[in-house]
Amino acid sequence: MINRTIPSPVSMPQELHFTKADVHTLSNGIKLLVINKGDEEVCRIDLVFHAGSRYQQVNLQANAALMLMPEGTTNNTSKQISEHFDFYGSFLNIDVDKDYATLSLSSLIKHFPNCIEMLGEIVRTPVYPDKELILWSQRGKHKLLVELEKTSTLAGRAFFGTLFGKTHPYGAMASPDDYDIIAQPQLRSFHSSRIGSNFLIIILSGKIGEHEIALVEKCFGNLTKGNDMSPIPNGIAVDASGRGKVFVEKPNAVQSAIRVGRILFPRTHPDYPAFLILNTILGGYFGSRLMRNIREDKGFTYGINSFLAPFRHSGVFAIATEVGAAYTEPTLKEIYSEMKRLRNEPIADDELLLVKSYLMGEILRNFNGAFPMANSIIKLLYYNELDYSFYDNLFKTIRTITSDRLMEMANKWLIEEEMLECVAGSRET
Amino acid sequence: MVEFHRFSLENGLKVIVHQDETTPIVTFNLLYNVGSRDEDPERTGFAHLFEHLMFGGSVNIPVYDEPLERAGGENNAFTSTDITNYYITVPRENLETAFWLESDRMLSLDFSQRSLDIQKSVVIEEFNQRYLNQPYGDAWLLLRPLAYKVHPYRWPTIGKDPKHIMDSNLQEVKDFFFSYYAPNNAILCLSGNVTIDEVKHLANKWFAPIPSREVKPKNLPKEPTQIEQRVMEVTRSVPFHSIYTAFHMCHRLHPDYHVVDLISDILSNGKSSRLYQNLVKGKELFSSIDAYITGEIDEGLLVVAGILNKDVDPYDAQGAIFEELQDLPKSLNEQELEKVKNRLESTFTFGLTNSLDKAMNLCYFELLGDANMINTEVERYRKVTIADVQRVSSRLFNVSNSSTLIYRAEKR
Repeated sequence: MINRTIPSPVSMPQELHFTKADVHTLSNGIKLLVINKGDEEVCRIDLVFHAGSRYQQVNLQANAALMLMPEGTTNNTSKQISEHFDFYGSFLNIDVDKDYATLSLSSLIKHFPNCIEMLGEIVRTPVYPDKELILWSQRGKHKLLVELEKTSTLAGRAFFGTLFGKTHPYGAMASPDDYDIIAQPQLRSFHSSRIGSNFLIIILSGKIGEHEIALVEKCFGNLTKGNDMSPIPNGIAVDASGRGKVFVEKPNAVQSAIRVGRILFPRTHPDYPAFLILNTILGGYFGSRLMRNIREDKGFTYGINSFLAPFRHSGVFAIATEVGAAYTEPTLKEIYSEMKRLRNEPIADDELLLVKSYLMGEILRNFNGAFPMANSIIKLLYYNELDYSFYDNLFKTIRTITSDRLMEMANKWLIEEEMLECVAGSRET
Repeated sequence: MVEFHRFSLENGLKVIVHQDETTPIVTFNLLYNVGSRDEDPERTGFAHLFEHLMFGGSVNIPVYDEPLERAGGENNAFTSTDITNYYITVPRENLETAFWLESDRMLSLDFSQRSLDIQKSVVIEEFNQRYLNQPYGDAWLLLRPLAYKVHPYRWPTIGKDPKHIMDSNLQEVKDFFFSYYAPNNAILCLSGNVTIDEVKHLANKWFAPIPSREVKPKNLPKEPTQIEQRVMEVTRSVPFHSIYTAFHMCHRLHPDYHVVDLISDILSNGKSSRLYQNLVKGKELFSSIDAYITGEIDEGLLVVAGILNKDVDPYDAQGAIFEELQDLPKSLNEQELEKVKNRLESTFTFGLTNSLDKAMNLCYFELLGDANMINTEVERYRKVTIADVQRVSSRLFNVSNSSTLIYRAEKR
């Protein structure tokens, strides 16, 4: 008979092994990172532009200029372009955040030549037809109006808007009315100023050979510069973090959405690795203190977590949950009491060891396969100027951190009076 | 080609091993052949509640998650109408931890009243978060009982009424466990840098001692053929009207299953698809529209669902949907059929780059009859012809086979 009460012995890797991306340079100076990995006949190309919403003059300008690139070029209509990508079984995804605009195209290797050619065309020669812009605006406005019915959306918008201030590039948000104002000349001007070789880095991942690399050169080696000649900024002013309490009324909501947090620092900050570990203990995994307390002990919620939202020049720490309306106040009380415990009580060795192992497993998972690896390297590019020592340093910090250092982090960064608290829900419960 | 090795233990547990030497992580996927279709109509939502209870401690291990996290692992689970699926990803070195944990909860649970009470409350909050506190969140709670009158697909996995969850007791939890959680009602798949011998050794060590159990036979009532159109209207506090139309389709192993799946892709997979091009862009009736199949093992549904533009009458929108459905078999050409097959092949191939996807699929296809279907699935789609689409869609898109939910926006 085996003894089932004794855990199986475990061991953890002492070092993180992963291959760095190969670096190539296209003839116009664009940097190309290649991650050649995987057995399946698939690949993905990511075009990362320094063209996020922080560079726009009016709300929605970056978003519209990027999202409408596949809606018509000098050679092809919106319908022809979508037929082309769909026929070759490729998937185009466009994402515009505060700092970056990224176009990702996934396809089977055998169809890559056809797909990348069209990708080059929509990047170089979009024409932004008025009719497509009107339709896009209508749909965007509709979607936003539906989103604004959700307590989680209301709380999240209040949170980021108050933290940075609504006029700050990291705090600004589009309102439904902005969709009525955005116009074609603004899209054209954003495209000609920012969608150029001087703001672009390309990542190619999957089963990559010389042929695929040559195709990237062919399609993007002749891309011209954007006419915004100002250098890529290496900083952004962030005033003091917004704090206090904000309540957004949503009549009859059965649950309240809660966001508690503060502005912190970018991923390059020396405290980042240690704070990431502290965050994991508080709310960063299923067995975290917040989950154990508020879900598994009290049953107030389906889920609660805390996370670090990175920006290129800043970072936000936030706790997020949706709880039964009657549990709103008790949940907030428990959130602050968990922060206080981290400030006042050292973390037991046992719990710390568990979190260290969990985090090392997480890092391995983040590098498991060509596309997760590409995602990790893109984040390194976004937030760490592609400094690979970030991961070595993170791994080392996980192995060596002490409970004293974590308590120091809690006393430095998890101060109740410095938090912003946003709740969206109904007061009448 | 996904290569794998299969064996069974004497107690009936089926084991599949897929070797992948390129990854430092092992995926451990365990499928139980039980879902919400197996529930008592007075205890709907129970299979899913039970999934939560599987994390509340087993007979020899008081806490499930902690030892796994200590091994650098992560896990989760989901319940559908047909199955309950548990999965773990763990660094290769610590594979045995997964066997130890999963086998203990197959052996027996802790069955604690406190765990049951807490998880009831968590599941009620899940019900609130996903179904009540979201615009259009309750649509599926309404659509399923409209489309099904007899078959247990008439309630969603979360359950038809939170009261069923609140009323369940510990004895029912025990009965459910011993009726369905058995080695002879489960399929295990290991995917990663493992050897067959190693998996055999670990499976024998941890799972073989668990006795096989008397699994409750599935005597599910067959849904009678629908003979007239069903329409239901509700009004809710949402910004725009929406519409959901469901058609009964064939079961998962029927030769026409892949035809229906491709029909849903022709309608709405990708920006070049018909519903998007004609009803969102051309006629500007919808701000978004989608068509998909539920993909269930018994006879499932093909659903067309969309949110209407302001001032569009829901019945005009419904008429436009039916026009599209009737036009499809008439105007389909080879190029369009080839397009949806290409997209499907691409989606399927990308799925193979993810070891968790692979392990889940191997278990699911084994449940359907043969894990090797993972290697022949694309071919089955490739074989579909225009004539197949014409034959199947004329029966499928009959008005008398439809159930429509008109979800009206309250005037504000």
